[in-house]
Amino acid sequence: MTRQAIKPTLGRLGLHAVLLSVGLLFMFPFIWSISTSLKPVSDLFQVTPSLIPSEYRWQNYSDVFSSVPFLRIYANTIFVTIARTIGQVLIASLAAFAFSQLKFPGRDFLFFLLLAGLMVPDQVLIVPRFIIMRQLDWFDTYQGLIIPLIFSSFGVFLLRQFFLGIPKEFYEAAKLEGANPFQIYWDIYLPLARPALAAFGFLAMLFSWNEFLWALTVTGDSNMRVLSVGIALFQGQFFTNNAILLAAANMATFPLLIAFLFFQKQLVEGIALSGLK
Amino acid sequence: MKTAELSAGTHRRVRLFGRNQQARSESLWAYLLIAPMMIGFSVFFLIALGASLVLTFTSWDMLTSPVWIGFGNYTQLFRDAEFRTSLWNTAAIAIPNVFFRLIFALALALALNTNIRFRSFYRMLFFMPVLTMPVAIGTIWKWLYDPAFGPINGLLGSLGLPRPEWLSEPRTAIIAVVIVLLWSGVGYDMIIFLAGLQTIPRDYYDAAAMDGASAWQRFRDITVPLLTPTTFFLSVIGIIFSLQVFDLVYVMTRIDQTNQLPTVVYYIYEEGFRNFRMGYAITVAWALLAIILVFTLLQFRLQRRWVHYA
Repeated sequence: MTRQAIKPTLGRLGLHAVLLSVGLLFMFPFIWSISTSLKPVSDLFQVTPSLIPSEYRWQNYSDVFSSVPFLRIYANTIFVTIARTIGQVLIASLAAFAFSQLKFPGRDFLFFLLLAGLMVPDQVLIVPRFIIMRQLDWFDTYQGLIIPLIFSSFGVFLLRQFFLGIPKEFYEAAKLEGANPFQIYWDIYLPLARPALAAFGFLAMLFSWNEFLWALTVTGDSNMRVLSVGIALFQGQFFTNNAILLAAANMATFPLLIAFLFFQKQLVEGIALSGLK
Repeated sequence: MKTAELSAGTHRRVRLFGRNQQARSESLWAYLLIAPMMIGFSVFFLIALGASLVLTFTSWDMLTSPVWIGFGNYTQLFRDAEFRTSLWNTAAIAIPNVFFRLIFALALALALNTNIRFRSFYRMLFFMPVLTMPVAIGTIWKWLYDPAFGPINGLLGSLGLPRPEWLSEPRTAIIAVVIVLLWSGVGYDMIIFLAGLQTIPRDYYDAAAMDGASAWQRFRDITVPLLTPTTFFLSVIGIIFSLQVFDLVYVMTRIDQTNQLPTVVYYIYEEGFRNFRMGYAITVAWALLAIILVFTLLQFRLQRRWVHYA
């Protein structure tokens, strides 16, 4: 099982054959989804469906935009995801810096409180949060979609772990130079933590893009929906043609998948980091 | 110099004062830096949690004010057949999901922990579903499982096999949903297993090989025990997350406006935001929290029997 273990070429070929066929099986739903999204309606009702469309109907993709306010929903998702990600990274890294580098009364207790928060599932909190939104009149607003989800205990935990690995001398030296803790955080610790910030940022982005339960709860107006909720709710209602529905689903997922392909390394490291620490 | 003439006592007091001042300013800065996080946490977590607990003792339709009913919601919980069904569905999905995920993920991680070519390409293939929006996954697979026109039944039909109804029969729906959850989650576990495998020192394997241990013995006596902390971590969070399945299953099993396979979180949403029985919905959520805690504690209790920490 070590890296040296597989020597004979035959075994190696066998391993490739297995990995490639499992990989193909993993890709099949994506491939089928792309193929379906390009089919004309008549192709959808075949008892033995074929992978290759009888003709390529690219119009399915533009039809998505005419049946629902898809462009608006798309823009909502992008905006909400960016705002939540920046908010989470900033707020969590500030707190993580203080928890890892500064001494103050109540530090361990407050940190423990945040950790305890990780164990409580969101469903317990969703109704009170919904009440707070109604009190603030934030139902169907961007602040309602964004603000309750920018406080990440998980982020504080992950980034604190990373900051703890930075030698304390950096902090002491900057303090002697007369820098205040915020300057030290901003000028020294943030740049040093770039890999960890990237890893956490990717996770935050992914989570936010795919998030469903809160967006479903805090919006009602079609113009305030995000992609996840839109695709779930418009099925059978506005999207009666499966080719158009899958065109919408593809547009909701592929840009993100492609973006992540480029940042594969950081993402995988981030996930591994979140699992081991 | 003046300072040199100061008595030792005064000198110490001055230094002490300076240090106090510094410590106080550091604390102030710290509170300032954690303030955004702690304020948000207080409002959206602590206050929400307290309010949530209070609401479990009320009956509330969101239009009129909540009515105190004591333990009414809790006693109803034990009589509620729909809750029991949702609980059963959730367990029937969660347990096989976690079990098979661990096995498949370990197999993939072992295959990729070799010096085989295209490792990162394969890793990406298995990892792509983890990145995909659960709602989109549900949408795509629902079409794959379509009893009349989907490719799965198309294949089964052309092989002369029976064509199941898949998602509209609870029994086949559970199998179908577990397959999709496995497909979408195995990549995550695989990445964590790969990270775990990389922490096992090579020397262990070399020493064992020198002693004449076979590949299987090395796997059984080195890899498996040293991976138990990783396996433990994955089974704990696997259970926690699978008990909360919602969006993916919701999209797949909602057929003609009725949910064929309601899970606990679906039931919470349905009771609260469709039937406007908020107090009861929150009580179900607390029951879910209690079940998650019991499972987690149980796993921590049992870990002493099988988890080896180096």
